[in-house]
Amino acid sequence: MNKWLRASAVLTLVALAMMVWSVLRPTPLPVMLAMSLGQAVGTAAFAIYGYIVLVDLRRIRRDARRARELDAQDRVVDVPTAEPAAAKPPEPES
Amino acid sequence: MHLDAFAVIALAGAVASALILIWYLVARPQLTRVTKLALLLGIGVFPLTTAGSGNYAGFEATKHREFCGSCHVMTPYLDDATDPKSTGLAAIHTRNAQFGEESCYTCHADYGMFGTIVTKMGGMRHVYLYLTEFRNKTLAEAKAEIHILLPFPSSTCRRCHTTSAPKWSEVGDHAALLKELRAGEVGCVGEGCHGPAHPWSKQP
Repeated sequence: MNKWLRASAVLTLVALAMMVWSVLRPTPLPVMLAMSLGQAVGTAAFAIYGYIVLVDLRRIRRDARRARELDAQDRVVDVPTAEPAAAKPPEPES
Repeated sequence: MHLDAFAVIALAGAVASALILIWYLVARPQLTRVTKLALLLGIGVFPLTTAGSGNYAGFEATKHREFCGSCHVMTPYLDDATDPKSTGLAAIHTRNAQFGEESCYTCHADYGMFGTIVTKMGGMRHVYLYLTEFRNKTLAEAKAEIHILLPFPSSTCRRCHTTSAPKWSEVGDHAALLKELRAGEVGCVGEGCHGPAHPWSKQP
């Protein structure tokens, strides 16, 4: 997960560099690069981040569900078993 | 370099984002709640701010005369438009404060519902032609070949020079050609009465 996040961070920096170049030097090449390649790279970086967030959320939900299941199992184990029927008192001899 | 408010916002967003991302890449912190929030700002919020503001600043920059003149084949047009002694229509209009720094765009933009989009697509065509045909041509060669794609429409002139102004109607030719002018059948410049916009303009 960290590897993908680092890749996303690097791609974001690349996209930002193109956008900053176009702002500081607004000539055809930088402006076109920023509006095409820069947008594509930035969107890809954000998509990777979004995917990682989704994976992380699913992991958290899965862990929570598993914890709930384990908890439920523990409760089943803890349920006290039915007490053995009390021995009938001996009937009084007549 | 021209920096408007949008450009400043774009740069501020880029700096903030870069600081967060460089911190993340260098420090390699644990993926805690704070780190996740910082990454949301560094990869999501700040870059989106930069992209939005930067795109707008870019669109505005493409309207500037210097942007149009940044390809070498446009140098003569830029020089003529900004020449205080030139009597060409482009130069006269460039000296008008209403046109400001955007005199090329003001006259060459398409208007109407999708005017901006059509203009930008036309600009992309110019870039394509520059890269494929004119990039390595000398100024003299390019100047001999470059021509306007379509006749200059009178509707562009009429955005400012309204045909309903009494002074405009006092001119005999204007009054005689009113119907044709409004229908776009007669142009003002180029083939029209007011001559070429640039001293060496050619017909399509």
